[in-house]
Amino acid sequence: MGDRPAFDEAKRGSAELLILALVEEDDLHGYEIGRQIELRSSGTLTFTLAALYATLYRLEARRWITGRWVEKAGQRRRRHYRITEAGRKTLAAQRSDWARFVAALGQVAGVRYA
Amino acid sequence: MATPSSGPDWAADVLRHARATGVDLSPQTVDELAAHLDDVYLAARADGAGDDAARLTARQALDASGLLPLRHEPRPNPRATYERLADDAAASSRSRSLAMGYALRMALRQLRLQPAFAAIVILVLGLGTGAATAVYTIVDSVVLRPLPYRAPDRLVKLWDTNTEKGLAHDPFSPVTFMDYRALPVFEDAAAWWRPDVNLRDPGVEPVRVRTIETSANLFSLLGVGSQLGEGFPKDGPFFVRSTRTAVINDRLWRTRYGADPALIGRQLALNDTPFTIVGIMPPGFHFPDDVDVWQRLQWDLGQHSRSAHFMEGVARLKDGVAIEQARAAADTLAGRLGRQFEGSNRGWSFAVVPLLNDQLGYYRPALYVLFGAVGLLFVIGCLNVASLLLTRALTREREVAVRTAIGAAPRHIVVQLLAESVILSGAGALLGLLVALIAIPLVVAITPVSIPRLDEAVVSLRVLGLALGLVVGMTLTFGLVPSLVLVRRHTAHDLKAGGRGSSRDTRALYQGLVIAEVALACALLVASALLVRTVGAMTRVPLGVAPKDVVLAGVQLSAGFNSGAWPTVASEQATILDGIRAQPGVISAGSTNDLPFEHGWRNPFQPADQAFARPEDRPQVQYHSVSDGYFETMGARLVEGRAFTAHDTPDGEAVVIVNETLARRHYPGRSAVGREIVSTPSQVGPLARNLTWAFNKDGSRTPPARTRIVGVVADIQNVPLGTPAEPAVYAPTRQFPFGAVTIAVAARDRATAVQAVRNALKAVSPQTPIGTVETWDDRLASRTAEPRLLMTTLSAFGALAAFLAALGVYGLFSWSVTLRRRELAIRLTLGERPRSVGAAIVRRSAVMVAIGLAIGVGLVQAARGLLSTVLFGVTPHDTTSVLIGVALLFVAAIVASLPPAWRAMRVDPIEGLRSE
Repeated sequence: MGDRPAFDEAKRGSAELLILALVEEDDLHGYEIGRQIELRSSGTLTFTLAALYATLYRLEARRWITGRWVEKAGQRRRRHYRITEAGRKTLAAQRSDWARFVAALGQVAGVRYA
Repeated sequence: MATPSSGPDWAADVLRHARATGVDLSPQTVDELAAHLDDVYLAARADGAGDDAARLTARQALDASGLLPLRHEPRPNPRATYERLADDAAASSRSRSLAMGYALRMALRQLRLQPAFAAIVILVLGLGTGAATAVYTIVDSVVLRPLPYRAPDRLVKLWDTNTEKGLAHDPFSPVTFMDYRALPVFEDAAAWWRPDVNLRDPGVEPVRVRTIETSANLFSLLGVGSQLGEGFPKDGPFFVRSTRTAVINDRLWRTRYGADPALIGRQLALNDTPFTIVGIMPPGFHFPDDVDVWQRLQWDLGQHSRSAHFMEGVARLKDGVAIEQARAAADTLAGRLGRQFEGSNRGWSFAVVPLLNDQLGYYRPALYVLFGAVGLLFVIGCLNVASLLLTRALTREREVAVRTAIGAAPRHIVVQLLAESVILSGAGALLGLLVALIAIPLVVAITPVSIPRLDEAVVSLRVLGLALGLVVGMTLTFGLVPSLVLVRRHTAHDLKAGGRGSSRDTRALYQGLVIAEVALACALLVASALLVRTVGAMTRVPLGVAPKDVVLAGVQLSAGFNSGAWPTVASEQATILDGIRAQPGVISAGSTNDLPFEHGWRNPFQPADQAFARPEDRPQVQYHSVSDGYFETMGARLVEGRAFTAHDTPDGEAVVIVNETLARRHYPGRSAVGREIVSTPSQVGPLARNLTWAFNKDGSRTPPARTRIVGVVADIQNVPLGTPAEPAVYAPTRQFPFGAVTIAVAARDRATAVQAVRNALKAVSPQTPIGTVETWDDRLASRTAEPRLLMTTLSAFGALAAFLAALGVYGLFSWSVTLRRRELAIRLTLGERPRSVGAAIVRRSAVMVAIGLAIGVGLVQAARGLLSTVLFGVTPHDTTSVLIGVALLFVAAIVASLPPAWRAMRVDPIEGLRSE
């Protein structure tokens, strides 16, 4: 992927949007978030361990998501992430930004909205 | 499906990977990554992979990822939560005042984040308040509270003084007392002396009772009545010959007579003489000290000797007469008496001392010194806490800046910081209360010396309130002032000032605090060094005796009022001593009427070959009565001639031994041994009698033809510590028996000695009780107990103060190094050697400490008036003490500045250049 810098940049910028969108639907832990992104993008988007969690922590520091430890009998404890009110607002704003951006790309560079 | 619910422990893998890539991860992050890898592994197993393959998949996921982006992050930060909460609260309550309860909760949370800080502050405040409260309580109950007598400030104690002899606290002659009593400055005066008395009741063990025989006006003069019985008649005569009456104290009444009210009117046998009990004094009445029995005076004070100093007295100043007037009147009278009765009264005068001062003696100045010391300690503790609060406020400058910038009202931030101070001072005060409540009964219980009125000490609310007020005031001031400064600055400026803007003036303030701490600690240390040297000087004074394992037991053999009984007393004493010597384990035994430190009877001294124009011209010397074996037992050194033997009886030649001072003074350049003297003392009331004096037909007595000096003994300290020994004459007990003697026994051990005395007494005189029993070492220790106690306390305070001061120095430089990390890093990058960076810090510390020490030495000199009253053998200028105190503190302070200096030397040049 190193030879596709444009794609990497876009992915980095979009990672936050993706994660916010996922935790808006449901409380998820880190592995599920990574797995969902991979599944829904049919393997196009994958994160390294560090990239995934660094993003989660960044979102949490901005108070867009909150994490809480959940312990279940016989299992390791896992940290579940949930969107906050501020996160929802940001997500809404980002969604419309991205929509405008993708539309602009379509108009200018002939990229079709998938 | 047989998928395991959980895989291997991935945390170890994560940690290993983190270490390999040099990344520091928080435990939570490790947990979270381990959970993730577990999920990867479980998913792989669910997809049908074998254990090894699944492990490999998970491990690859880990290895494919660098961990660097996870560094530092995101330790879920409680501080962040706290700040958020506080600001949310501040924002939501902008229109109304922030509830103090909420602020307190926030403050508690904040302090929990820094438990060490909170603990130190609370501990320092608590111990400081506790110690100060305890000492002030003691000072209050011992020194400041008025004595329980009518108009106690009008009462004065009377003493004989003799500047020439260096005596300030001597009993006086009954005849001279009567002259002073007639002075118009006194409303009245009472006098007493202390006979040794055995109390015998049928069927009960006899006991020695502490007794004074006092003029009848004592109780009315003090303004204290008996709780039961009439007491001595108020306006009765000064003395009565006809009836023998006595008053006893509450303790004796309760313990020996079961508080029987019918005791009034009954007769008690005091030294085999019946006395009618006419009163029981109220509990807590101890005058002049711990007395069991007050006998009413039975003889005319005017009909005695002006040379016999054995009475004590108290007087009440007439209304409107100042103590200075009384002193002037006493001095005038002393001058007149000195001229009129040159032999007995020249050089002597009456000291008029306020009763309270007199009762406290050494304790009054000692307690003031102690109070000063604990005050200093308290202030040092406060300064310490102040500097802690100051640095803390400064480290939070940034927090305050951020919160101010995002809209927190300054008021809220101040309330928040105030709440923290309130909690700290509240907890400190509580701890202080606890310390005081525990310390006071403990001090009362374990004090090795008996301090008058100490047992009445209880924590007074007034005292406690004062201490608590001080703590709270101090904490609030030092918690509030820095926060106000910070808030003001940050409402005016932007965030860019960061953590460094205010360092210059606060550093000056901080330095001031630390210098003050060092100065006060220095004063304390020098004072304790002075006390250490005082005790050292006291124990080095040559006493003239060197007893090894000697037990002293008081014994009273009374001849009562029957003067014919004296030969019996003499032989009984000799038999008892022989009986003791015959016991197994006893090495030697002897008796004396005055132990070292006690003075003997002062009587004129006249060598037989020397004529005096007037009898008054004869010099005064001390007379003691000691048995054969006494000098040996006490380890006194015979310089010349012989010691007393069993043959020195009334039938033999009258002999005496003199001390070196007498020999030197009266027989300069020649030997005193073999010289003859004229024997002057013949009889000392019912106490003793010189049996070598012959009775004449008309009842008068004639001194022996000659009394020969047979030996010279090295000076035995016969005055209190600090004054040179007086010339003394020792007469043998067999020729000059005393009723009350102390038997000294050198034996294998203490128990053997005590048992030997008991056995011998039982055999010879079963009716005679043993008085106080102590070892010579106990007695010696009790002579230095007061300064020793003061020394121990002051040393503890001094050590604590030095520690606090060192802590202050450490805190200051730690803070300063942390603050200057960046500057230090730049200097190190630019090539400055770490050593010179460290040296600069130590040097700054040295200069600061030197300033503090100079001020401290100045403080000691300012307090030298007070200090000199508790010192012995050293002056407040004592260079050694000052050097010891200064050196100790200097070293402590330099050592305290080493860790920060070390840290400064090891600042990573790169670290300082990185932005925060």
